[in-house]
Amino acid sequence: MKRGKSRISTGLLVLALLSGCATSTKAPDGFEIEPASTEQPRVLPDSGTNKAALRLLTQAQQAAQAGQLDVAEARLERALRIEPRNAALWYYMAKLRLHQGQYSQAAGLAAKSNSLDKGDRILQADNWRIIAHARYQNGDIAGAQRAQQKAAELAE
Amino acid sequence: MAKKKIRKRKAVTSKKAARRKAGKKTAGRKSRSRSRAVSSAKRKALGWRRYLRWRIIVPALIVLGLVWVTYLDVLIRVQFEGKRWALPAQVYARPLELYAGEALSPADFRQELEWLGYRYRYRADEPGTVSRSEGAFRVYQRAFQFWDGEAPARRIDVRFADGRIETVSDTETGRELDIVRLEPPRIGGIYPAHHEDRILIKLDEAPLQLREALVAVEDRQFYQHFGVNPRAIARALWANIRAGGAVQGGSTLTQQLVKNFFLTNRRSLWRKANEALMALLLEWHYSKDEILEAYLNEIYLGQESSRAIHGFGLASRFYFDRPVQQLTTAQIATLVALVRGPSYYNPHNHPKRLLKRRNLVLEIMAEQGVITADVARRASQTSLGVVKGTRTDTRHPAFMDLVRRQLQRDYRKEDLTSEGLKIFTTFDPRIQQAAEQALSKRIKALDQQRGLHGQLQGAVVVTNTTSGEVLALVADKQPSFAGFNRALDAVRPIGSLIKPAVYLSALEQPETYTLSTALSDTPIRLKGAGKDIWAPRNYDGKSHGTVPLFVALVHSYNQATVRLGMQLGFERIADMLQRLGAGREIPAYPSMLLGAVNFSPYEVTGMYQTLAAGGFRTPLRAIREVLTVEGEPLRRFPLAVEQVVDPASVAVLVSALHEVTRSGTARSLASTLPEGLSVAGKTGTTNDLRDSWFAGFSGNHLAVVWLGQDDNQPTGLTGSSGALRVWTQLMKTIPNQPLLPPATDEVEYNWIDSATGLLSRQDCDGAAYLAYIRGTAPEEHASCAEAGDAGTNKTIDWFKGLFE
Repeated sequence: MKRGKSRISTGLLVLALLSGCATSTKAPDGFEIEPASTEQPRVLPDSGTNKAALRLLTQAQQAAQAGQLDVAEARLERALRIEPRNAALWYYMAKLRLHQGQYSQAAGLAAKSNSLDKGDRILQADNWRIIAHARYQNGDIAGAQRAQQKAAELAE
Repeated sequence: MAKKKIRKRKAVTSKKAARRKAGKKTAGRKSRSRSRAVSSAKRKALGWRRYLRWRIIVPALIVLGLVWVTYLDVLIRVQFEGKRWALPAQVYARPLELYAGEALSPADFRQELEWLGYRYRYRADEPGTVSRSEGAFRVYQRAFQFWDGEAPARRIDVRFADGRIETVSDTETGRELDIVRLEPPRIGGIYPAHHEDRILIKLDEAPLQLREALVAVEDRQFYQHFGVNPRAIARALWANIRAGGAVQGGSTLTQQLVKNFFLTNRRSLWRKANEALMALLLEWHYSKDEILEAYLNEIYLGQESSRAIHGFGLASRFYFDRPVQQLTTAQIATLVALVRGPSYYNPHNHPKRLLKRRNLVLEIMAEQGVITADVARRASQTSLGVVKGTRTDTRHPAFMDLVRRQLQRDYRKEDLTSEGLKIFTTFDPRIQQAAEQALSKRIKALDQQRGLHGQLQGAVVVTNTTSGEVLALVADKQPSFAGFNRALDAVRPIGSLIKPAVYLSALEQPETYTLSTALSDTPIRLKGAGKDIWAPRNYDGKSHGTVPLFVALVHSYNQATVRLGMQLGFERIADMLQRLGAGREIPAYPSMLLGAVNFSPYEVTGMYQTLAAGGFRTPLRAIREVLTVEGEPLRRFPLAVEQVVDPASVAVLVSALHEVTRSGTARSLASTLPEGLSVAGKTGTTNDLRDSWFAGFSGNHLAVVWLGQDDNQPTGLTGSSGALRVWTQLMKTIPNQPLLPPATDEVEYNWIDSATGLLSRQDCDGAAYLAYIRGTAPEEHASCAEAGDAGTNKTIDWFKGLFE
């Protein structure tokens, strides 16, 4: 996956949005955000998630598949209006921002997701990975490593 | 009245003749020959006078005339080009999303349909209609272009149970639908200075009948004349004299169009002459089709309060609630009838008059072969069918002002008033209505009670706690009054509303401060801004000695707060205010600690938003999306989130702000709000009771209320006796979710004794349920709790712990 950091394929986003594949991007200078594993457990919305929110999530995925990131964004926001305390929805939003190259926003949303989560370690670990990635992109290497460490602890 | 009109028309024609004599190039054949005859008679007269006239005066007049014509030419072309496609931006409220389980009562739903102008029918058989059948609403929803796709026109069944939507299903297939979005109610337009609105139609979109009817009734020689029609003027004059009143007009469509460009009530000969001249110029520059198209979109057809209804596109929507393509023959005739005088033939005030004229129009249409006599006869038998009160423009000036200000950062004013942009806002009409009523009603009562002679004013801002979306904005006790926008511009001292920022600055350092930390509420003397000594007092005039930190906040003790603030330092507190979103410079003097800093209600909302969202700052937004007139996506204003305070520290603070509403300065809420609805908030009162504030939030709504007088005179109201009343009334009437503790296990909840700050038990007097960062809670027990079980009960739900 040697690509420019802002040019992440839509295919990856789609994976990221719903399959929950982690943001396994190798940074240009060799800083390892995470081991290049495709065996990441999937982050899925809570079983209690409202059907309307789930429908919007599916529609957001379809939009992302078609490369319409701003449509995906609008649909995720609609889902969040229905379930503002759904940590998984915030997580997807964070991922979307990451893929749009809005790193600070991605980190803020991932932190928000973690503040709402009730102990889903997979989700929390992935949120920390997003934060690590965002910090790295913003030049905060030490912060990225700390976040990566947290992700690793949670993934154990 | 009638005679006057005739005289004017006569004068118009004679004036025209006079101008032709003066040598206008556009003069007709007749006048040219006449001026030749006149000059030959004069030739025999005095030589030098002839010289003067022919060599100086006449050329001068010709030059002047040419300059004037050129000026009019520029004027009319600018108008024609500029106005032809000038469309105000359309502003929409949030669309209502319908899904099973949503908290929405049938009454709320009915109200929404009313805002959208849905009509009840026996059968919902066309878009925009609704029927009731077997306990369900059967809605034929209209198609609508949203940012993320088009919602098609379709029929849905909506069922309700226990104040919620039970199911939403497709009428045809009976299949349940996960989510359906209704089109958003239109809440206004952004107009140029003069309030005009229109829905543009292209010439080929206008029904042929409409075009032919206009020509038949208003200007039969339209395709033959060159702008003015002298014969029509003469004929109209004659017809009017014979009938003894104005039954016919002699203006061509082109002249009427020109007249509409420069709508004034002044009727003067000079203006008439200019109009005729400009009509000629228009015809010179533009084709008949272009002129007719402009006419269709420009002609004035009615008035809705301060908004002028221009053009057949909007008039069709306004009077018949349908696009112009769907008008019936009778409806076309009605609109054509209105051309002659929208207020004289106002369908609501003078239906009989209009009906008579409509039938006359139908008669003329038949006579001219536009329709058959049979069609005309049948159309004449129908009623007017004008819909009553399609609310195409509701009045929310304060919110519209906010939208305009946010847009002006990104768009030029001209684009807003001419490009027909579609602005999708966060406005929630239901919550707006509740906020307006709460403010008006309470202000009226409080004003009387305090003898303020109608001078008490106020403002309310309501937002969604997670998204930062502004749901409602009220800036006047008369909400439809567009004047001083108090919500945005009444910048006032915030008093104790500042205290949460002071205490959060402390609680952010959990190793030093917890809610149990002892504070000294004793007299304190400090150097003020100048050389004055500042000695703050408590509201009750007493000092309370050593108190737990949370008690000082819950009861809003000034002396303890100032002592705490001095320990922390101004800088730290000013920094906290900035992180919360203050956006204004904070003065570094002691009285700042008690809120001698000025903010508008909107700015206060921005700061409390960060608290309500658990330490995540989200800039307030009033706009979600902007689309072009064709429905193409133009711009989104996305949700933005930034963590600015540790969520656990905010949770600790919020647990104390919740206690404010149980036992503190807002304890009246414990009995006035519905049981189970936990909220948090803070009262604010300023010197001499000039400003009364309350800022508080439930799980989903944050509302900030300010009351005061515009001239800053005392109101006699504290935060709790004034603003809190409005807040309570508002929160009681909107669908709220209870405030929930954060999911994080970094904080734990304990019952704490108010006197000592030590562990207590739920059944002990003065016990408060408070949050502590794990490992920082007190370990000792207060006397009441010593005997029994330990006071901590980490397993109980926060919410249950309070109300069960």
